[in-house]
This record gives sequence, C-alpha cells and structure tokens, in this order.
Amino acid sequence: MNECTDSEIQEMLPDLLNRALGDDARERVEAHLARCESCREELEVLRTVKSAAVFAPTIDVDRVVRQIPSYKAIIPGVEAPAWHRPVQLLVAAAAALIIIVGGSVLATRHNVRVERSVRTDTLEPRVVDNSNAALPPKWARVDSQQRANRGAPALAQAHALALTADVDGLSDRSLVQLMNEMDRFDALPSTEPDPVISVDSGDSL
Amino acid sequence: MTPSPEGRPEETDMELINRWKAGDTRAATRLVGRHSQALARFAASAGEWQGTEELVQDTFVRAFASLDSFRGESTLRTWLFTIERRLMLDRRRADRRSRETVPVQESDQVSEYGALDGLIAEEAQERVRKSLDALSPTQREVFTLRVQQGLSYKEIAEVLGNTEGAARVHYHNALRTVKEFLRDE
Repeated sequence: MNECTDSEIQEMLPDLLNRALGDDARERVEAHLARCESCREELEVLRTVKSAAVFAPTIDVDRVVRQIPSYKAIIPGVEAPAWHRPVQLLVAAAAALIIIVGGSVLATRHNVRVERSVRTDTLEPRVVDNSNAALPPKWARVDSQQRANRGAPALAQAHALALTADVDGLSDRSLVQLMNEMDRFDALPSTEPDPVISVDSGDSL
Repeated sequence: MTPSPEGRPEETDMELINRWKAGDTRAATRLVGRHSQALARFAASAGEWQGTEELVQDTFVRAFASLDSFRGESTLRTWLFTIERRLMLDRRRADRRSRETVPVQESDQVSEYGALDGLIAEEAQERVRKSLDALSPTQREVFTLRVQQGLSYKEIAEVLGNTEGAARVHYHNALRTVKEFLRDE
C-alpha cells in the first residue's frame, strides 16, 4: 500500500472523525477516502484511538456543581440580577430606617451622658497644697486627661487624685481621714458622684 | 446556535456563563454537564486515571472562580483543558515531591500511564493503549486532544502553551509512532 501524499486531506481526518467539517470539506474528504486505502487505514487508526477513550469514569455533575460557589460569593459587590433589585431596595430602605431611628436614640442618650459628665467634671476630689500641708482634701477641678483615666476602675481613679502635698507630712489622724475619703471616692458612681462635704472648713459643693 | 434535542436552540457557553453570573445555578449544571466528560477523557488519556473525578471537580471550581478572566477568545472547553492540564502538572510535581525521588523523566510518566492495566478490556483498545504508552507525555496530550477531543492545532497550542507548528509536529510524530506500533502488533 502506497502512503498518501495529500497532507491537506490527512490534516482533516481528525476533524471528520469529530464532525467538525463543513459540508463541502466533508464531501471532499469522503470522496478522497473512497479511492485512498492509506487514508482509510489512517482514519481507522484514529477511530480506534478515539473509541479507546470511553473508559474515562462518569462524572457526577451534581456533585461537581455543589462544590462551585456562587458568583456573588466569588466576586463580592457584583450587581444582582434585575429580579433581585426590588427586594434589595426594600432591604436597603429598612436598613436606612433602622440606622436613622437607632442613630437618633443613640444621639439622644449620648447628649444626656455628655451633660452629666460635664457636671461631674467639676466635682473631682483633689488634695490641694494647703499652707500647713496637714489638711484633708478639698474639691478641685481636674483636667480632661485625668478625666479620661476614669474608665479604668480603682487604679485610674487613684491617679485622678492629684496629691500635691507630701504625704509624709500628714499626721496619723489626717492620713486616716484621707484614706476614709479615698474609700468613699472608690464607692462613688463614675457618672454622678454624690456631693462630699469637706471636713476642715465645712464647705459644701 | 445548535438546536437542542427538544428543538430549542442550544444556549452557547457564554450565554450560560452570563446566566450563572446572574445567579442561575442551573446554568452551572448545564456547563458542567456539557464539558465534564471531555475533561475526564482528557485526564484519563493523559494518565490521570486515579482521582479523575476530583481533578475534573477542581478544574471546574478553579474555572468558575476565575470566569471573569475568560474573554471568550478561545472556546470554553479549550480554556478548561488548559486549567485541567495545569492541575495535572501540579499533581505530578506534588507526587514527585512526596515520593522524594529523582526528577521524573518522560519514560517514568509513561509507566504511570501503564497503571491503566486491566481497565481497557477489548483487544483493539488494549493495543491502542500500548501504542499511546510509547508516546512522550506531550505527544500523547497533543494526539488525544486532536483525535479524541477534536481540538484544532491552534487550540492545542493554547492548552499546551506552545505554537501551532509545535503542536502539528507532535501530532504527526505521534501518529507515525501509533501506526507503526499497531502495524507491528
């Protein structure tokens, strides 16, 4: 058997096998095959090779699809299809309403808290440096940094007390008095302290 | 558009992709159903008999995750073959590392393909399998993509990342080897 030299026809044999030829090309190849034993043999080889591939396992399509995430999950922020938009608008409107109402409530509460904290700012206890350094603490205004320390419980409150006199100079009685006062400060609520009466002068605030 | 068995025009891959992007999961089912067996055949013919379904599944998961990068310049199937082939190469590299062997030569990969023993029952198919065993991995990929999958040289070049001319040469060398093998049997 002579080998065929028509390379153009030979190139088209796999396409004939896979039905990828147009009508004209297919008729031309079939006409050639009718008179060329070499190409018929080659086509038979190709057909055998193609049929040998049927032993690939069958794929469970549903199982594969279950592993594929949705497009929205893969690409966040993609525009939803048209039929989703009315639902999205309703959800967006509800969310906006919640934000506005919730924000108003929070703002109102915040104003009340600010008002209270402004009042309490003026009522921080403080030991001031009296001339004899042996007097109990008096009330004094503290700065905002000290105010910020109030968030931490006892330790921060202790820092808020500005001891400007030397403790060593206090008498035992004064020290006990001072410690009692400090205990009372620890017991005070952080936002609304009770008025404390100074012991030495009887000044009330 | 090709008519479906029901007489309705068959949706193109791009139409199904757009439907899936719009939230229609049935479009994904159609796409997977349309291409999964071709991917399985390619994997099996390339020697990836074990774990073929997992490989096909991974191919689709990866493909759907990056569908935005698919421009439709090639067919979807060609693009899927490209992804699947990369996964197969990754697998082989991982296998080599796990076995801690010397780098695998083409002859070693040919023996991997020999794991198909007993799976192809009929004599003619057994002969074909042996003839494919005699090919290099690249020749086998080109040959099966051309004959079993019906890809053009241009598409094969895209899958393999080389030129049409190289694909053509690999095909003809493979065809000559297979014909000689079958003639000598």
